[in-house]
Amino acid sequence: CKKNLTDLNVNPKSPTTVPAAGEFTGAEHTFANILSSASVNLNIFRLIEQQWQETTYTDESNYDINTRPIPDAIWNAFYRDALENFEQAKKLGAADPASKVNNAMVDVMEVYSYYYLTTTFGNVPYSQALNPDNLFPVYDDALTVYKSLLTRLDADITALGSGTSSFGAADLLYGGSATQWKKAAATLKLKMAITLSDADNATAKAAAESAATAGLFTSNADNMTFAYLSAPPNTNPVWVDLVQSGRQDFVANTVLVTTLKSLNDPRLSFFFTTDANGGYSGAAPGASANYSAFSKPSTTITQQTYPGLLLSYSEMQFDLAEAVERGYNVGGTAAAHYNEGVTASITFWGGTAAQATTYLAQPTVAYATAAGTYKQKIGIQKWISFYNRGWDAWINQRRLDYPVLTAPATARTAFPVRFTYPVQEGNVNGPNFTAAGAAIGGNTVTTKLFFDKF
Amino acid sequence: QNRTVTGTVTGKDDGLPLPGVSVVVPGSTIGTQTDAQGKYTLRVPAGTTALRFSFIGYGTEERAIPAGALNVALTISARQLGEVVVQGALGLNRNRNQQSYAAQTVSGESLSATRSTNISSELSGKVAGLEVRQSSSLGGSTNVVIRGAKSIYGNNQALYVVDGVPFSNGGLNSASINQSGQRSGTGGYDYGSPANDINPDDVESVTVLKGAAATALYGSQGANGVILITTKKAKKGLGITINAGIGTGSIDKTTFAKYQKQYGGGYGNYYDDPTGYFLYQDVNGDGKPDLIDPLTEDASYGAKFDPNLLVYQWDAFYPSSPNYLKATPWVAAANDPSKFFTRATQNNESIFITNANDNGSFKLGYTRDNQTGIMPNSNILKQNVDFSGSYNVTSKLTASANISYINTVGLGRYGTGYQSDNILNSFRQWYQVNNDVYELRDQYFASGGQNTTWNLSAPFNTTPIYWDNPYFIRYQNYNSDTRNRYFGNVAANYKVTSWLNILGRATVDNWTQLQEERRQVGSVGVSGYTRRNLGFTESNYDLIASADKDLTKDLNLKAVLGGNIRKQRYQTISASTNGGLVVPGIYAVSNSVSQPVAPVEGDQQRELDGVYGELNLTYAKVINIDGTIRRDASSTLPKGANVYYYPSVAVGFIFSNLLKDYKWLSYGKLRGNYAQVGNDATPYSTIDTYSIGTPYGSSSQTYISTTKNLPNLRPERTQSTEAGLELQFFNNRLGLDATYYVTKTKDQLIPVSVSTATGFSSTYRNAGTVQNKGIELALTGTPLKTSDFSWNLGVNYTRNRNKLIETFNDATGNPANNLLLASFQGGVTLNATLGEPLGTIRGSNYVFLNGQRVVKANGRYQLSATSNEVIGNYNPDWIGGITNTFKYKNFTLSFLVDMRKGGQVFSLDMYYGLATGLYPETAGNNDLGNPSRNTLATGGGIILPGVKADGTPNTTRVSNTVYGTYGYVYNPNAAFIYDASYVKLREASLGYSFPQKWISGLGPVKGVDVSVNGHNLWIIHKNVPYADPEETLSSGNLQGYQSGAMPTVRSFILNLRVKF
Repeated sequence: CKKNLTDLNVNPKSPTTVPAAGEFTGAEHTFANILSSASVNLNIFRLIEQQWQETTYTDESNYDINTRPIPDAIWNAFYRDALENFEQAKKLGAADPASKVNNAMVDVMEVYSYYYLTTTFGNVPYSQALNPDNLFPVYDDALTVYKSLLTRLDADITALGSGTSSFGAADLLYGGSATQWKKAAATLKLKMAITLSDADNATAKAAAESAATAGLFTSNADNMTFAYLSAPPNTNPVWVDLVQSGRQDFVANTVLVTTLKSLNDPRLSFFFTTDANGGYSGAAPGASANYSAFSKPSTTITQQTYPGLLLSYSEMQFDLAEAVERGYNVGGTAAAHYNEGVTASITFWGGTAAQATTYLAQPTVAYATAAGTYKQKIGIQKWISFYNRGWDAWINQRRLDYPVLTAPATARTAFPVRFTYPVQEGNVNGPNFTAAGAAIGGNTVTTKLFFDKF
Repeated sequence: QNRTVTGTVTGKDDGLPLPGVSVVVPGSTIGTQTDAQGKYTLRVPAGTTALRFSFIGYGTEERAIPAGALNVALTISARQLGEVVVQGALGLNRNRNQQSYAAQTVSGESLSATRSTNISSELSGKVAGLEVRQSSSLGGSTNVVIRGAKSIYGNNQALYVVDGVPFSNGGLNSASINQSGQRSGTGGYDYGSPANDINPDDVESVTVLKGAAATALYGSQGANGVILITTKKAKKGLGITINAGIGTGSIDKTTFAKYQKQYGGGYGNYYDDPTGYFLYQDVNGDGKPDLIDPLTEDASYGAKFDPNLLVYQWDAFYPSSPNYLKATPWVAAANDPSKFFTRATQNNESIFITNANDNGSFKLGYTRDNQTGIMPNSNILKQNVDFSGSYNVTSKLTASANISYINTVGLGRYGTGYQSDNILNSFRQWYQVNNDVYELRDQYFASGGQNTTWNLSAPFNTTPIYWDNPYFIRYQNYNSDTRNRYFGNVAANYKVTSWLNILGRATVDNWTQLQEERRQVGSVGVSGYTRRNLGFTESNYDLIASADKDLTKDLNLKAVLGGNIRKQRYQTISASTNGGLVVPGIYAVSNSVSQPVAPVEGDQQRELDGVYGELNLTYAKVINIDGTIRRDASSTLPKGANVYYYPSVAVGFIFSNLLKDYKWLSYGKLRGNYAQVGNDATPYSTIDTYSIGTPYGSSSQTYISTTKNLPNLRPERTQSTEAGLELQFFNNRLGLDATYYVTKTKDQLIPVSVSTATGFSSTYRNAGTVQNKGIELALTGTPLKTSDFSWNLGVNYTRNRNKLIETFNDATGNPANNLLLASFQGGVTLNATLGEPLGTIRGSNYVFLNGQRVVKANGRYQLSATSNEVIGNYNPDWIGGITNTFKYKNFTLSFLVDMRKGGQVFSLDMYYGLATGLYPETAGNNDLGNPSRNTLATGGGIILPGVKADGTPNTTRVSNTVYGTYGYVYNPNAAFIYDASYVKLREASLGYSFPQKWISGLGPVKGVDVSVNGHNLWIIHKNVPYADPEETLSSGNLQGYQSGAMPTVRSFILNLRVKF
């Protein structure tokens, strides 16, 4: 018959290879979208952390994570959409002379992705993940994974200090600057160390101290931010969900509003719009709410081009404050780091240094006089600074146990201290899914994870 | 000198007149047929001495012409029953004795009787082994599966073959032209099944070839069974047939929502006024707050209706409204959404002209069918032009060509799935029962076509929040589409000798479609425009040599040697505006707020080269042995693995020919066969590719495909074994055709859904075996027959057991026990589960204790720990149909009862609609005799049937004041699974043929028939509330799920047929 019948079987519209830079750009974008999203199908942590509240359809505010199903969406977004494309960027760029530095940047993003996966689910596929030849990846012990991530960051920090990158403008976070990436890697390492501090103090101490000497962020200018554009599909996802959709799903949550009011927090007006009476009010957690009655997320964060904040100088200062409290040798005093963290947050949101000073001078805010232990002081302020970054707020609040967030009476479950494994994993990776649930003490939302000891 | 011969032909067995008997002058083309009374009149040339009478199933008789009338009584010939010619694979005719596999034929007459334009849906209930699921959408698609789903992820749709040539029903591997989101219920329009382009008026007969042995010669594309369509052929002499039909349809109210009429809009009592049920602000400017309907809320858990309560409702905020700034009584709408549906209409006209003589034949036909649907502003116009001609170039060589042009123009197809453009989603799930649809209609027109929605963002802010005015959707956000199709072939047939024939044929099936979808500025969400161009071409080149020779007196040989080259190409491009429309009402991609993103292109090509052969031996009309083999080379499999062979063998034993003494046995045959069919892969399944996304500023973005391809794929194999028995009794007054079959489809080429921790959603594998076992029974009978009256009965029964019997092993050697087919809105999934039929529905379930549902301490149901419990399966236990045809003199009455037993469906309509309080169930009285929607303090609330954790009956009364109690909020998915059984009076037809004596004065008119036909007349039994259990998303493997289900359309059509 024909000589080359199978030559027809090449898709003329899709390439079999692409530049590595395009994979990195796409994956960075995906990563930023996951963390910035306000979609009730994916990122409901602003609701769980009682920053926002749903108006009519209150299911997610009441911890219904199955109807949509949200764990599946998170799993798919990180593994398939972000991590796999980061992996592709490494593979495709192998021949690039700058691959060592490029791959270190990519690797930092992979580590950061796994940070969210382990702190959300616990044990997750890692050593056998991202390998399509193994359709049934085992779930690795979360603490083991986490330590491996810290080791990877060490290697990345070293590599980032060893040359320049060829990514250039394809790197939407730092424009291909190895110097900036090195700071970000160190700051991430500090963040991860502090997250681990209750669970494995020795590892956390060593990691935090080495991170502090590796060169951390020095101001808000170093923040890892994703600069969204004005035209779809490259806008901030919050604009898509809140403005473009025309929906009226979210109002302020009274828990955050009340806290901010009681502390005379200058960020209140940056976080929320005024309500019908010209003041600020929020709806009760879990309860149906009348949209017109309450404050809404501010117009600042609902702009198309509002940047996605992924790692901040402010949270780093809170991490340092906590490191000092834990006796880690990272320099400075807890109070100074705390003040710097609060100030960095207020100025980031548009306040002035003077406003920050006034705010910090209040006995309810001042580190020396604010109520409670360091966990409470830092916990409350970090939770405020993590406004609009619900995922990070959730990770910290579970560990520090402040602020105390109460499950609504109408909640489907108790307050979720983890997310259950995706339903589809039960279907397609059953034995490993079952084993992982047993290994962590039960696949429920009330099983405390490895880093959450109290 | 010519003379006229007249007479009557009757059956010798019963003395009844035989209509349709062929009467010819031997050795000539002069002839006629007997009429309904068995009478004939024939002018014969001078010198004619005899006439020949022949009729299927009867012995042929030749009689000398006497002086007077020539009356003849024909004898039934059991022997000749085996000679009935039946269509087989490739259009090769086989007589019944030579056909050792299951095939069932439906006459075109019985298909076109009801004047439906959808040939597939007309087969429902008429053929054993064939399962048809149809959507009620205007021009919607039809799911046609023979002997159960064989492929887990691939195409299971039957292959349509028209006069020997495959007729496309979709793209390359997909039998659907709809978007994948449409098929999985996330929205979009149903653009129908392209197979329904076939013109029912041009169909002579339909034969369904069910098993692999029957279809082996078609190669892989015949693996799902074949629907062979034979178009009408020209008969000698000029024939003109004109059909004209006019019809109307309306909804079957048992398939649409019933609404509670006690409570109005809202989700509960947490709004602004003292009762909590209303918004509360000054509307009329008197300085005092007024009651306002909670306009943003798409539920009916609001305040109790009270005609004395005056409330500002949606219509108070449109200046064009008579109720502008007026409060109106708080009452249930006079016109609920059932009034939204309009009367469907149908106009259908066709004309066919045929002629044939010794030199050749031709046929020319034109058909026009115009339908409007039950939704306002919907219309589908289909026009067919059919031409065929043949010419006998020499006595041995015949050349022929035929071409059909089909033009389908659709406007305003219905939105489907879970999306705001599907109006039924609002009507069944999210609605305020105080909204009057006639007011919505009047306001839409009074405002000059504005989106005067009931679902305002706020008082005085008429921006829609979740739902548009339904009339605005119909008249502004409409879609449109045009499909142009050319289907035809040229062929040359050379009769080498009396027993050897060679056919060469080139065919083309080409269609292009433009789909345009619009969303006007002012709609919910982002305005926009999408255009999609689809183009499909299939070319087939066939060379077939066939022999038919009596080797000895008793031994007949039929042999075939053939080759086929099939080339397919499917090209698509889809472009959309981005970020909205700049200028309202201009639907052009350039009219885009942001720069449009790059169009999405697809280009699939495939070629399959096959050679095949068949040997068919029949001995003494008692034993038949048939063997085939085919070799295929496919472009879509890896080099080296792309050539595969597959055989079939079939044996028939016509035992009645050995039992001629048993007069009551007219015909008896045992048959058995075994066949294999190979199948290739979807194009481009062997090499990984990347997709190029929208650039981020000046940086390009790319993504690896979420499906991992496999370089070493093998062909998929279907093995089929079949045994059957055919019996005819009492001069064919009673007949039975029974078949048992087992089909195993191995090494399935499937994109297995995998853990996305692999980095991919799915990966191609040769994995999985699906088994289908089943019984098909077809019973035919003539319980009554007198000279004026006859009763014919046809019964079909199908029982198919489908099972996933093998998957692939994981790293630990354990089989993967579940393959995900789709995830649906509502948290339910459709799966293939090891050991169960394809199509298990999984979701959350109740927790049971001693068979009772467990209720938690708070009085709500306990839900299962996971959302992954098996809660249903869409496969029916059995399906069947009963057709009765009564003839009395010139009247014919026939009706079809179509039924399905078992299988389940998940209703998203009930899942949400019960939560939002639309249905009467949500607003009844409780065990205390009080309205359940009263607060607990005032004696309201309900006690859910069930037991507490300790097994004692539940006694906790839960509030029903705010939304959710009956719906999704507090109940598991299992609560919304319904039995999909039905019994339907699918169609009925009453016809009348004008007697010959009336029309004999009408010049050239040979016959006049009028008929009135009804479709979907009565759902005799069903268990799904407010919907048709048959209503489905689309065609394809995703069934068992309803969202925004369309009501069933009950239709009538009056038809007039005149033959010249």
